[in-house]
Amino acid sequence: MPFHFFDDGSWPNPPVFALQILDREPPEDLPTFLYEPFKDALHDPAKWAKKIEEFDYVDAIQLYLLSTDPADQDSPPEKAAEATRRVAETTSLPLIIYGSGDPDKDAKVLPTVCEAVDGMNYLIGPVQKENYEVLGKAILAHGLFASAQTPMDINLLKELNVKLGHFFPLERIVIDPLSPALGYGIEYTYSLMERIKQLGEIIKDKMTQMPMIADFATEVWRSKQARENEEQGILWEAMTSLSLLTAGANILTHRHLKSMKLVKEMYESEVKQWQK
Amino acid sequence: MVIIGENIHVIAGVVNQAIKVRDSKPIQDLAKSQVQAEADYLDLNLGPLTKNPEETIRWVINTVQQVTDLPLSLDTMNPVAMEAGLPLCNKRPLINSASGKKDSKERMLPLAKKYNCDVVVSVINDRGMPPDVEMKTESIMDTVAHANKLGIPSEDMWVDPIVLPVSTAGEGQRFAQASLEFIKIIAEVLPGIKSTVGLSNISNGAPNELRPLLNRTYLVMLQRYGLYSAIADPLDKEIMSLIQGKMPDVVSLIYKVMDGEVIDLSSLSQKEIDYVKTARVLTGEVLYSDAWLD
Repeated sequence: MPFHFFDDGSWPNPPVFALQILDREPPEDLPTFLYEPFKDALHDPAKWAKKIEEFDYVDAIQLYLLSTDPADQDSPPEKAAEATRRVAETTSLPLIIYGSGDPDKDAKVLPTVCEAVDGMNYLIGPVQKENYEVLGKAILAHGLFASAQTPMDINLLKELNVKLGHFFPLERIVIDPLSPALGYGIEYTYSLMERIKQLGEIIKDKMTQMPMIADFATEVWRSKQARENEEQGILWEAMTSLSLLTAGANILTHRHLKSMKLVKEMYESEVKQWQK
Repeated sequence: MVIIGENIHVIAGVVNQAIKVRDSKPIQDLAKSQVQAEADYLDLNLGPLTKNPEETIRWVINTVQQVTDLPLSLDTMNPVAMEAGLPLCNKRPLINSASGKKDSKERMLPLAKKYNCDVVVSVINDRGMPPDVEMKTESIMDTVAHANKLGIPSEDMWVDPIVLPVSTAGEGQRFAQASLEFIKIIAEVLPGIKSTVGLSNISNGAPNELRPLLNRTYLVMLQRYGLYSAIADPLDKEIMSLIQGKMPDVVSLIYKVMDGEVIDLSSLSQKEIDYVKTARVLTGEVLYSDAWLD
């Protein structure tokens, strides 16, 4: 349970803070302040990833294959696989590789991507009820991890884990319950994450004992409030992140370096205090 | 247990169409098959009856009574239709249903006194659906007291906790427990009172082929706690066998799950395993998902 140090608790696996990068230059409607530290590298995800290593508080990189989205550039699987391979070759940080979320397109893109990062222990998602068979098999065949995504519903997430679990090892699954931003329905995910942790701990339901990813990086920066000005945006993302961290999220995806630094520092000072 | 056959239901396309064109046969067929399956009452669920309420309910009642002499449960929220239908019933009918809502107390409940019949009284009130067993009990006590004052004896009232789908994310399993608890305590709280549930709602939203398993298991659990009657599907032979005591092994397995006993699944048949898994979901021991049998 998160932050439950008072009850003889410990936190053996600290949360992972991942910075999101894209496989294309950021769309023009996103505020430029988001990507200021990387402005010379945005045309090349490998350079972008390399640059991230200068910021030692970043634990992982989320590579979001936005360009493969049929609603975006609808770029082909081979292009995504090539971008992923180059990022993987450049960085020593662990990768979380996310497709566009379009179940049909992901079923074509992600198996090719898996092949490109064979045996690298990366996390691949989102695996959804429409494509779990195809993606599960590809992820398993290449020794990777699956991020299983369901739309904010405890019963559906259990069902997907049960079905995936028929052929996929449970200890290689991460739960992605979808994470909307502060002000846009974060309460639902907060309660859901709490409940997932409680069921895993109290009832010992094996289907809810996996780590959870709070993937709000895209959602936060859709909001008007975050885009309006930088300081407000940083706080908007930080509050979203901190809230879901206290609810029990194990992996948190950020777009802004400063919001990540802020939350990570808060987390670390809290942990230090309890460990005294 | 008194089984109120649920199959003449306006949501069913064939029933809806038959009523629209006044075609007796599909409705009489459904009536006859439920009689044959040993239903004790026939529910005539006609919905709100916004068009020709009086003429429609009279036609349905007459149509059904041509082929059976079972007592009827008149199921509409329209008091005008209800009042038109009650005097036509050959056997003492059941009003399905009244509630603690102001409108229902004023217009529906008095009909039970006026026509000297039984009445289903649900826990719903003007504040909506009481979420837990304490509030359900409190609500029903108010409504029953009000009905007693109107001159309706407790023995004529069939109280209904309102069963909700167990598949409702986050809350369904708690709801299932609340209704069970209600049935368990109600006889002590309101001596002489009868009870009923709309059984099939427990499985609403679950995969169609698995719904009967939830209905059957839940009914066995409710029966253990003294449920008097259920609006259910008598055409499901296994439901009837279970409540008639013809499947004692399955019943005792379900009871064991309710009592928290450890059950060794390896010694059981597939069917028994399915019942055990279903009971575990209904008691809240295992988190519900559509794949609860996997």
